[in-house]
Amino acid sequence: MVAGDKVRVEVFVAVPIDDCFRYFTEEIDQWWRRGPAYRLARGKAGTMKLAPMLGGKMIEHLGDGTSREIGTITTWEPPAHFTMEWRGYNFREGEKTTVEVWFESSGEGTRVKLEHRGWASLPADHPVRHGEPVDVFIRNVGMWWGALLTSLRQAQE
Amino acid sequence: MIAATFAALADPTRQGVIELLRHKPRRASDLADALGQSRPAMSRHLKVLRKTGLVEPANDDGDLRARVYQLRPEPFEELRDWVEEVERFWSLELHAFKAHAEKKHGRRR
Repeated sequence: MVAGDKVRVEVFVAVPIDDCFRYFTEEIDQWWRRGPAYRLARGKAGTMKLAPMLGGKMIEHLGDGTSREIGTITTWEPPAHFTMEWRGYNFREGEKTTVEVWFESSGEGTRVKLEHRGWASLPADHPVRHGEPVDVFIRNVGMWWGALLTSLRQAQE
Repeated sequence: MIAATFAALADPTRQGVIELLRHKPRRASDLADALGQSRPAMSRHLKVLRKTGLVEPANDDGDLRARVYQLRPEPFEELRDWVEEVERFWSLELHAFKAHAEKKHGRRR
């Protein structure tokens, strides 16, 4: 693994773990955001589907008879954990990254943690982007180069 | 460029170079000695790092042995922007999921 070659985000959901896992995997079309940064289909067209099993595919059906595969489940441990081989929309044949999701019971709800990693394996001219510009967003990067950049700035001042 | 930067940083020796250069610019020979590398091996690593713009010579007066290398902050800023974009994407998705799951759960109670 490359130092810093990953992103981790998490959220607390006030729903018990079994339901939480089920909603996440079986109702993905209902919560997956719409818009050009998240789906190929425009407006309310199309559906996002995840076949909840080992080897199951995450596929966007565009509503015009065509579809696009986005991921394949490579680890399946309900209700605690699953992993997907992730192919972004503009990934070419053979290009893939990894998305791993954990569910942990926490009080009356569930802590959902998601990690996306593996861009170092993508070719240098890869066009993958998620669309929207970065804006003000509270985050906890905690990355190797985050600290690096800070120290560089300090060194230059 | 991002993936090239990641690839350049994938090597432990090159990570070591970056770590050392964080503190101060150094000569290739000093980097080689500090990281237990031969001079030719260090020369190859520095070539990769220069090609991706992660390091640059601080002085370029022709004498290779005296050449001192330093970090360039730009690729690190690109990396940070990239990570922020991916992070923002997933954070928005997880919050969309949270809203859906809690609404659904509330209805069932």
